[in-house]
Amino acid sequence: MILSPTESALVILSIVIAVLLAITLVFSVYALLLRVRNGQRERLTEMLKSRWEGPVLAAIVDPTRVDEVHEVVPEKYRLHFVNFILEYTRRVRGEERQTLRLLASPYLDLIVGRMKHRDAGRRARAVQTLGTLGLPAYSSAVLDGLRDESPLVSMTAARYLARREFPEFAPAVLEHIDRFDSWNRRFLASMLAEMGSEVSGTLRGGLTDDTRPDWLKAVFAEALRTQRDPLAGDPAAAALGQEPDRELAASLLRLIAEVGRVQHLPVVRSFTNSEDEMLRSQAMHALGLLTDGSDLSALVEGLDDSSPWTAIHAARGVKEAGGRTLLEGMVADEHQRNELAGQILFEEGEP
Amino acid sequence: MSEIAWSVILVFNWIVLFYFLALHTVYLGASLIAFKALKTYALRMKSLDLSDLITTAYAPPITLIAPAFNEEATCVESVRSLLTLEYPNFDIVVVNDGSSDGTLDRLIDEFNLKPARRFATAELESAEIREVFRSRRHPNLWVIDKENGGKADALNAGLKYCQTPLFCAMDADSVLEPQALIRIVRPFLEDGTTIAAGGVLRIANGCVIDKGRVVDVRLPQTLLARLQVLEYLRAFLSGRMGWAAIDATLVISGAFGIFRRNIVVDAGGYATDTVGEDMELVVRLHRYCRENDIPYHIHFVPDPVAWTECPESLSILSRQRDRWQRGLIQSLTRHRVMLFRPRYGRAGMIAFPYFFFLEMLGPVIELLGYVSFTASIIAGRIEWPFVMAFLSVAIVLGAALSLAAVVLEELSFRRYPRAWDLVQLFILAIVENFGYRQLSAWWRLKGTISELRGVEGWGHMQRKGFNVSDREAA
Repeated sequence: MILSPTESALVILSIVIAVLLAITLVFSVYALLLRVRNGQRERLTEMLKSRWEGPVLAAIVDPTRVDEVHEVVPEKYRLHFVNFILEYTRRVRGEERQTLRLLASPYLDLIVGRMKHRDAGRRARAVQTLGTLGLPAYSSAVLDGLRDESPLVSMTAARYLARREFPEFAPAVLEHIDRFDSWNRRFLASMLAEMGSEVSGTLRGGLTDDTRPDWLKAVFAEALRTQRDPLAGDPAAAALGQEPDRELAASLLRLIAEVGRVQHLPVVRSFTNSEDEMLRSQAMHALGLLTDGSDLSALVEGLDDSSPWTAIHAARGVKEAGGRTLLEGMVADEHQRNELAGQILFEEGEP
Repeated sequence: MSEIAWSVILVFNWIVLFYFLALHTVYLGASLIAFKALKTYALRMKSLDLSDLITTAYAPPITLIAPAFNEEATCVESVRSLLTLEYPNFDIVVVNDGSSDGTLDRLIDEFNLKPARRFATAELESAEIREVFRSRRHPNLWVIDKENGGKADALNAGLKYCQTPLFCAMDADSVLEPQALIRIVRPFLEDGTTIAAGGVLRIANGCVIDKGRVVDVRLPQTLLARLQVLEYLRAFLSGRMGWAAIDATLVISGAFGIFRRNIVVDAGGYATDTVGEDMELVVRLHRYCRENDIPYHIHFVPDPVAWTECPESLSILSRQRDRWQRGLIQSLTRHRVMLFRPRYGRAGMIAFPYFFFLEMLGPVIELLGYVSFTASIIAGRIEWPFVMAFLSVAIVLGAALSLAAVVLEELSFRRYPRAWDLVQLFILAIVENFGYRQLSAWWRLKGTISELRGVEGWGHMQRKGFNVSDREAA
């Protein structure tokens, strides 16, 4: 049978309509099923929560009652129980958290199996659960997570291993840290700083280690700054002499500003006239915090810098260096930087 | 009419058909991509304790810049909601853009504002600043009072006084959810090359708001507002999620987006000679980064929510859509150099052509299509079964796309908890095809004509104010 072009078009359109109707129907049914399933899940969660909440609270108050809680966890709801405890754990600290770990411990083997799931999100969730409730007992599984091919899983593992209470995992975290080069540097620095003074020596050594890339040294410098490591000033000053890239130089100057001493002033001064606005402003920041008063004129000059950030740091430096009256005079005289002076004078909070 | 003219009309009908299929294929493709992306996102979020991430790790300081023009009805509620945000380190800068109503007075009274000094950190042009205020009650709340200059001008004024590495551009009449900043800042932590991230806008009409927080999510009372709920679901959960998944985001809503301050300042801040400053900025950022070899990413995050009031009258909605269309045309024509240029990556090769040919020219093709189609029917040039079949495709396809958005909502965030809400969304997916879609196309065509005529300005937007809880109203 030969169809005319109009008839052919009609047939095609009819097929399209049928397919689209089917799709529409599928979407509608799917949305309804999702609503029903989610409703059932919410009801189940609420029911389990109401069943477990009392015994769990009793066990937190009296840890000898941990076994009583296990008696009300049916086998098929063990994973639900672990998730329930995980949510609870986020809200408590100290001994209470330890009790919650005890409550979850009999069921954590179930979670280890999930580390092999093909979906990275689920593996990351397993690492999160074991990291929160299972360390150090399940450290080998979390360390496996650190080596996972997915950056999400790997970072999740690093976040849980990089804790002050587990200094033994610090070398493993540092060994894998360059996997996270795409992450925000400050974020990585905060994570390393979390590990506490156990890693400070390694971080200090890393500042002048030629085998480390500059971005990683910058992360180390920011971590030491967060830790306010009192011994980091000297290696930072030494690293500044090794022609670092601008990001690293800025981080080193920030570190010196935080932990440096008067003897680091010469290296700081060498950057106050840098052509790079970022370095100039960081140097001014460090100068303002470290100066013994002899740099007041340089700081006052900095107020007129073309970079607003340099000017802000210079103004703060002037205030720190005892130049408050000078700033007050600028406000009174409607000096061209009077807005800046006014802001800095009142930064304590009083408008 | 001559046979040649009819031939032209019939060819045009086929062009319309092709346009229609192309447009909806992109929509459907975006929905499918969004489906996978949302599932991945939901799983990812389960493995992250966001509050822990922010409180124990580095939380980059953020300045919220909220331009306000005649927002007397909603500004206090909005600022209260901003003050309750869960984020460790943020400033709020409300820019009163020469309001002629009591916006500034309400802010001064409510938050005990006093004149203060604040140093400008960027050289961006803006209308004259009259006074800078700081709250005695909330030291992180600043208000800049300036001459009227438009939203982009107000954003530039706020940007001048921004002293944090990130800033969040928003509307003063929006209500951010408490964890909105924590959620939207995540891409900046995970990816050091992130320069911007957009969040989701949802319709606040009908919702109950208590102390600056949406406490009861409901569908709006009016049909027009309800239709916009569906429209926003489609635009954000299907559209923007889909575009972001292929790294080709061209739009971050001006009502809620977060940006790296230095890159926006270096790119020149907001353009004051367009009514689509939000899209223009994002397109320009693509261009600026590509042309200067700056590695960058622009993200869309589907769960930080800003609740906003939508128009409930046809005249105001038509003005809004007119403006959106003009903004789209201005952004695309200004940066037309990006069209099909591999240098601009997927933004230039995929997203830009889509917006240029299907979104910008779409209303013209669609409405001319209605005319030529009707003329062809009246003249008996198209057979009725064909007409009916084509209209059926149009309606069913439109409904399928809207239902896909409802599925995505159900799959991910389920903000509308009542079963009746879901049923209403189903009904709306059908109803919108009879009149609303055509009206929408008409408004956009009017916007195109306005742009060709050189019409400027935003048009008036009347705010009713949020539906506050009984407790708060008392």
